[in-house]
Amino acid sequence: MSGTKHQDNRRPQSPHATDHEMEHLRQQHLMLDPKPRGELNAMVMESMQTVTWKFWLTVALLGAVVLVALFGAWGYLIAEGLGVAGVNRPSYWGIFLVNTVFWIGISHAGTFISAILRVFKAEFRRPFTRAAELMTSFGLVQAGMSIFMHMGRVWLSYWLFPIPNQRGIWPNFHSPLSWDLLAITTYLLASTMYLFLPLIPDLAMARDRSTGWRKNFYKILALGFRGTEGEWTHLRTALNIFAFAIIPVMFSVHTIVSWDFAAAMRPGWNSTIFGPYFVIGALHSGMGAVVIVLAVVRATMKHMQYFIRAEHFDAIGKLMLIISMGWAYFFFNDYMVQWYGGDKYTDYLLHWHEAGPLGWMWFAMLVVNIVIPWAVLWNKKWRSNPWLVAVVGLLINVGMYFERYIIVPISLTINRMPFTWRLYQPGIEVPLSIGTLAFFILLYVVASKLIPIIPVWEVQEGQMAHSLKKFGRETVVTVSELE
Amino acid sequence: MAENISLLAIFPDLGPASEAIEQLRALGVGDEAMNVISGIPVTEAMLGRPRQWTNVPRLAMGGAAVGFLGGAFLAFGTPSLYNVYVGGQPLIPGPPSVVVIFELTMLGMLISTFLGVFLDSYFPSYRPMEYVAEISDGKIGILFSCPEKSRDRISKALANLGAEKIETAEAQQL
Amino acid sequence: MIDLNQVGAKGALVEGAEGKWGIVIDQDLCTGCQACVAACAMENNIPFVGEEDAGYGRSMHWMRIERFWEGEYPEVKMTPFQPTMCQQCGSAPCEPVCPAFATVHSAAEQLNLQVYNRCVGTRYCANNCPYQVRSFNWRDYERPAPLDNQLNPDVTVRRKGVMEKCTFCIQRIHRAQDQAKSEGREVRDGEFAPACAQACPAEAITFGRLDDPESLVSQLVRRGNGVRLFEDLGTQPRVTYLKGGA
Repeated sequence: MSGTKHQDNRRPQSPHATDHEMEHLRQQHLMLDPKPRGELNAMVMESMQTVTWKFWLTVALLGAVVLVALFGAWGYLIAEGLGVAGVNRPSYWGIFLVNTVFWIGISHAGTFISAILRVFKAEFRRPFTRAAELMTSFGLVQAGMSIFMHMGRVWLSYWLFPIPNQRGIWPNFHSPLSWDLLAITTYLLASTMYLFLPLIPDLAMARDRSTGWRKNFYKILALGFRGTEGEWTHLRTALNIFAFAIIPVMFSVHTIVSWDFAAAMRPGWNSTIFGPYFVIGALHSGMGAVVIVLAVVRATMKHMQYFIRAEHFDAIGKLMLIISMGWAYFFFNDYMVQWYGGDKYTDYLLHWHEAGPLGWMWFAMLVVNIVIPWAVLWNKKWRSNPWLVAVVGLLINVGMYFERYIIVPISLTINRMPFTWRLYQPGIEVPLSIGTLAFFILLYVVASKLIPIIPVWEVQEGQMAHSLKKFGRETVVTVSELE
Repeated sequence: MAENISLLAIFPDLGPASEAIEQLRALGVGDEAMNVISGIPVTEAMLGRPRQWTNVPRLAMGGAAVGFLGGAFLAFGTPSLYNVYVGGQPLIPGPPSVVVIFELTMLGMLISTFLGVFLDSYFPSYRPMEYVAEISDGKIGILFSCPEKSRDRISKALANLGAEKIETAEAQQL
Repeated sequence: MIDLNQVGAKGALVEGAEGKWGIVIDQDLCTGCQACVAACAMENNIPFVGEEDAGYGRSMHWMRIERFWEGEYPEVKMTPFQPTMCQQCGSAPCEPVCPAFATVHSAAEQLNLQVYNRCVGTRYCANNCPYQVRSFNWRDYERPAPLDNQLNPDVTVRRKGVMEKCTFCIQRIHRAQDQAKSEGREVRDGEFAPACAQACPAEAITFGRLDDPESLVSQLVRRGNGVRLFEDLGTQPRVTYLKGGA
């Protein structure tokens, strides 16, 4: 370490690569296109603080939908009872449960990206971990609301919590619904904490660069973070623990949700493969939702085109393809075993799925969950097109919603007492579902203007770790292990 | 005895900062008297600093143990307190107990990890502290204390190594 | 040796096929007149849901008469009517899944109890019942005067959001037990009957103690032409259906 003029070792240097090559690499890869941290900070702050009339219009419209379709309709539901919903005998559960499973599924993508990709050191995760993790927290809020909506006497739902009381009884831990309560609470708290921890340094940055009410807001939330060695050590240790520990939590949550169905003795439900089938289904719909969110963020927020690039859609698209293959594997497992088994009522059920009045849903599900991803996502050029991948993601989400609709109300129609078979027709669940979607988007839009959506310190860390190395005649990207 | 003062030196990059730390050591500033403040986590090895100790893993294990006990209480205590038979299952069911204990163990571990960060870093801390905003812009700051009389000597040495700014560390409201 | 009639497959203590109260329904005698359904509704304060809700599968009768037929019109052959109510399973699938302990097994009468004031309305129990005999209060149904005069004071009136089902007229069981206890004797076989058995004009429904070998229900069960619904699911139902017998 001589004391001569230091080399700017942030910029990838390669004396043999042509300028054209370098420019190309810089354009393609965020990690090879470093900017001074001050500039990154300024970009993120500007994208957060730029609030136009379009933002307010969006918030107003979403707010109106939430007020009427969510809170208004829910109030009506509580006042009138579940008769205004579509549930009946034998479909005692309907769209509320479908929504619950759907939103928990969406929330798994956030954890996948911020935890599993971190553990596997997939560097491409860096710019969008927080955007994905926000989906987890807000998705779980919607899932929780959907659970409360489906309860007959929701004002007494506190009876399901193990707290000291005068009723002389605690909740029943034999019941999968009680496991649901514990699992979803654990997951909600864990993912919110996991969202907040890496946010602290960025809140400190925002605190340093803002004034007025924003400065107060960030000052309080940043907890006095400065970036001392001690603080970074504690933070990084905690993040490592979280990344490893939240993975089994994530797997357990959707497995436990699947046991709401698998533990019941209904034809088509009592399947041992529901655990992993639901987990991979969650990842399937979740990754599809992530690309939609990223495409929208990239298109609507300033400077996001620098942070979120085609390479990220390419990488996520590869994951989507693999997950789609996994989903197809588990679906076929479940289907083949039921089809072969020959149990009378399961046979009726499978026939009802494929040839009943909603048989089109079953075929549509297979087309959008398997055929379209396999047809589109193998091609690197198509994968690098954000809007194409986002459309595929949207179709996957539609397909996964169909899958859960088939599993809950459609499967409940067929049971062992044919005298009770009756089709389920949604009632107030429709506006309430639209309301939860609007609420999710509203929370996200507001959050995007309140907290920095790009984890700038992680992006800078990644840019520091990436360099170019010459192997023979080829210039190759190399990543250093910084930890 | 000369009074000790606190100085904050800002460096634009990792290289000069690590050289500066070595220089400071040579000039008599001990490791305990130094603290490095940065906008991204730079490992102690890169700067030639001694390893930082953290209580977070121990707290995580402790929290996991507390969570385990809580889960065991729910799984085994509830049926003992309220012995209600359901569905031909034993009073204390096997597989459901596993689920309950697992979830609460994980919850205990993660909450205590989170609170461990707060505890170890003394968060939240809203008192005025030595800091400059340039640090979150990617500069590396070295906060150190040295005798008053060495101030000029040290400042000159650091400036030679590329320090952008050397000033008395003032505790400011963040 | 573990006797699986005493200790269930999960290691839980389950009573064998014997239990206390049981019902035998002679399907050869049943005419499908639905007097039992009406009597049950009167006895247990079951609300009237109205035409629209009933058409949508929300009728709240605790008992239903299932009718099936074979063949195509005009060669249609009726099969015996099947009155279906809660089977009071010994190993009830509805019990473990309720998160609020609102449906539990009674040690005294060995029936499946529905505790209205613990129910929060998650409806998992109804999904898990293979017989689909549970009714849910989808709304608060009205009883315009003077229908409210018909309410049975021995039975709770349920509000919206609560699950309910056949209780083997547990209020009548308790009244008979109280009466017998105050007279210092056991309840006699045939001393009382649930509303359905009482109302049946063909005497197709018989009620009594299955663990008393001399009771009429035990004798009818021993006749040998009885079947239990979905017995292979391991639910240990307490209702036996007699078909094609003497």
